[in-house]
Amino acid sequence: MKQNKITLVTSGVLLVIFLCMLFTFQVRQTEVAVVTTFGRYSHSVTNAGFQWRLPWPVQKVYWFDNRLQTFESKIDQPITSDHISLLISVYLGWRITDPKLFLESFNGDITKAEQTLEPIARNAKNGVIGLHRFSDLISTNQADLKFDQIEKEMFDAVQAQAKSNYGLAIESLGIKQLNLPDSITPTVFERMKKERETLVATYQSEGDREGKSIKAKADNAANDIIARANAEKEKIIGQAEQEAAKYYAQFEQKPELARFLFDLKAIEASLKERANLILGPQTPPFSLLNGATNGSPSTR
Amino acid sequence: MERNIQPIGIINWCALLVAAVISAILARYASAAAGTAGVAFLVLGFLVAVVSYFQMRLEERERLERLEFDELKKSKGASTLFTEGADTFPALRSRQQFEKFVIPIFTALLFLLQAGAAWWLWQWLGKASPPKLNAAKMALALYALFALILFLLGKYSSSLARLEGQRLLRPGAGYLMLGAFISGLAALSEAAVLGDFPKVDLSIAYGLGVVLALMAVETLVGLVLEIYRPRVKGQEARLLYESRLIGLFGQPGGLVTTAAQALDYQFGFKVSETWIFKFLKEAVLLIVLLQLGALFLSTTFVIIDPNEQGLLEHFGRQGGARATLEPGLHFKWPWPIDKVYRYQTRQIRSFVVGEVPDSDEASARTVLWTKPHFKRAEGEGPEAPGMLVASRSQTTQTNKNEKPVPANILTVSIPFQYRITDPVAWAYHHADPDQLLQKLANREVIRYLINVDMDSIMSDNRLAAAQEIRRRVQARADERKLGVSIVFVGLQDIHPPLGNKQIQVAAAFEQVFSATQQKQTNILYWQAYAARTIPAALASATNIISEARNVAVSKVALAEGESARFTNQMAAYQASPSVYTSRSYLETLARSLGPASKYVITATNTQDVLTLNLEENIRSDVLKSIIAPPDMNKAATNK
Repeated sequence: MKQNKITLVTSGVLLVIFLCMLFTFQVRQTEVAVVTTFGRYSHSVTNAGFQWRLPWPVQKVYWFDNRLQTFESKIDQPITSDHISLLISVYLGWRITDPKLFLESFNGDITKAEQTLEPIARNAKNGVIGLHRFSDLISTNQADLKFDQIEKEMFDAVQAQAKSNYGLAIESLGIKQLNLPDSITPTVFERMKKERETLVATYQSEGDREGKSIKAKADNAANDIIARANAEKEKIIGQAEQEAAKYYAQFEQKPELARFLFDLKAIEASLKERANLILGPQTPPFSLLNGATNGSPSTR
Repeated sequence: MERNIQPIGIINWCALLVAAVISAILARYASAAAGTAGVAFLVLGFLVAVVSYFQMRLEERERLERLEFDELKKSKGASTLFTEGADTFPALRSRQQFEKFVIPIFTALLFLLQAGAAWWLWQWLGKASPPKLNAAKMALALYALFALILFLLGKYSSSLARLEGQRLLRPGAGYLMLGAFISGLAALSEAAVLGDFPKVDLSIAYGLGVVLALMAVETLVGLVLEIYRPRVKGQEARLLYESRLIGLFGQPGGLVTTAAQALDYQFGFKVSETWIFKFLKEAVLLIVLLQLGALFLSTTFVIIDPNEQGLLEHFGRQGGARATLEPGLHFKWPWPIDKVYRYQTRQIRSFVVGEVPDSDEASARTVLWTKPHFKRAEGEGPEAPGMLVASRSQTTQTNKNEKPVPANILTVSIPFQYRITDPVAWAYHHADPDQLLQKLANREVIRYLINVDMDSIMSDNRLAAAQEIRRRVQARADERKLGVSIVFVGLQDIHPPLGNKQIQVAAAFEQVFSATQQKQTNILYWQAYAARTIPAALASATNIISEARNVAVSKVALAEGESARFTNQMAAYQASPSVYTSRSYLETLARSLGPASKYVITATNTQDVLTLNLEENIRSDVLKSIIAPPDMNKAATNK
């Protein structure tokens, strides 16, 4: 009896669960659902929560994620209008807007939807890049740069195609990767290196130039200082001579005495060093020696 | 009761053999992993069926022998000539021998085969090729057919074994049922292949490998337990090579009965009749139900860990005021009405834009430009293509005709750290918010670098750049409603690329630094020269001037002195001009002629030649002066 009760309750609970599974379904906050009746679309459920349904195979429920999906395109190699090849990939943020159309277009498969978006994204991306110069993408000059505009153009192109055809909407587009192909990279490296080498040369010559100019300035300044000093010297000596001349005016009072004294001084000065003198007997005071030989002094 | 079961035995092993061979071909053709695993089971089943068939034949011969003996006994009556000797029943003896030696040896062999098959299967599955799609339909049909045939045969044999107590049919029947079951699984896995789930095939095969290993364990355990089993007289020996596990397929008696039988057999008494076993048997359903009930009730509360936040959904809808659950205990409606999704919001999450630092090189204490320090996949160069960066010098130098690529490439590695601040936004707005954030960050880094000067971002602008990138990514994330806060952005690495062997870019950059150093050195050298030269010039200038001053002063002083003296001399001269002149003349002469060597030639009118040797007095450098005697008188009289 007890066993029976348990069996009864258990089977009752199992029946309820089974019926719930057959007649109800839930839609999560993050989902939208499409209900089909005998394979024909009957309605979409966009409000999350508890829902009634008829059991399979009468009604069938498809659930889709209604959140923003992120999809990254493949990297490929478009060419800019000034013939520079780039590697570029973009990411798309998209969302299912019309679950019915989405179900019809892709059988509800997000992977298939992304496979469909891939060529659209690449087409838009490569087309837009072809319209722009390389400097629109890379430049220190804010005015030249059209990066945001390029993204916008790509977005518009993708949106125009995707808008009404697939039951999904593109909400954002951004450039994920921007590179140069391997064939160009070495030339860029080479140029970067050359640029650096130019800088090295510039720095070296700048160093030389500045060094030399410092040296020249220093030499100039030194010469100037010496020249000024010499001029000063001449001036000082000139002044001194001028001053001395005042005193020498005294000599004008008795010029013959002055000359005599100068002669004396000159003799004295010239005989300072060891000199050999050969003197005649007329030279006073040696004239006295004459007297000794002749017997009388003859000074006068 | 005494029906000859040998034909059925033959049919069993033949069926298993045929199924095994065809399965093997099929599995190879369709490269089905589950099918290959099934072959192992079928071959084992075939072996077991063959052995039990031989045992059947022996028992049959024994039975005939006994019948014959009984007939003989009856016809001969109570003849004493006939005695029951040891060699009277050769069939009985050979059966006993068979049971004593062949069966244990075969069982041991079976164990080795099972274990070996399991091991081989495991190895083989590691390098199995994916199932072929074109063969799947045919394989599906054939496997389904096998499943049906084997099931019918197995069911028949197992019913016969149960109803008529033909224990020798049981092992074969068990393997037939198992073969049917596995063929069914193989068919299922082929269906999965058709339905584009090729993984299922491999999972089933792995599962079968596990079953095979379990069977091997069971055989081993059976062998060991056989040694310790009490021998009850008259009890029919169990077939050692029969698997109880496989028996489950053949006997619908269920788990409990099989377990009870196994226990009874092992301990030699009716364990299944003890009260505890009976209780367990009755209560097992209740216990299971209680367990399930407890499991169900455990879904009525949830404990959120300290680093988490939970999102509550009521029938999939966001749970109103209780949408986000803070750490702690929370009650909720049981599953599947309320569900809680956990998010580790307080945890710092991180990712890297650009190059991912190589963890192997993390032990190195220094990170140099010229040494590779990033994670590389096989076959890649030392560096991936870096990021494009504009350069101010480049834009000014661009020659439009030559079309150089006006961009630089830098190696960049920027770690980002972030934290989820709003789990609702994080979970409900984006299918893959983490990926989206990484892509946004990537885009912002590119966007920043293409518009910035290379030299400035590598040096003075570095910190500001990190701040700017963080600001922009945060703005983008807010715009996209990601519900995150960027905690940190660091320009961990931003430097020129290594380049390759021919073009060493990073090294060239380093040379620029050494060039600037050289420039500075040069300038400093000449500055030092200037610092030396100018003071030296100043010093010599001062010297010149002070010398000049000295000269000037002495000149003036001399002039002054001389003039003063002249005044006095003039007075003396005026007093007596001739005396003064001759006196001063003679005084001077005497004073100055002192050191000079003098030759006075007194004979004026002689014609002699005077020879003077002046050598001793004349040094080569000494001025020689010969002074003619001045006309003293004339000078004096002129006054």
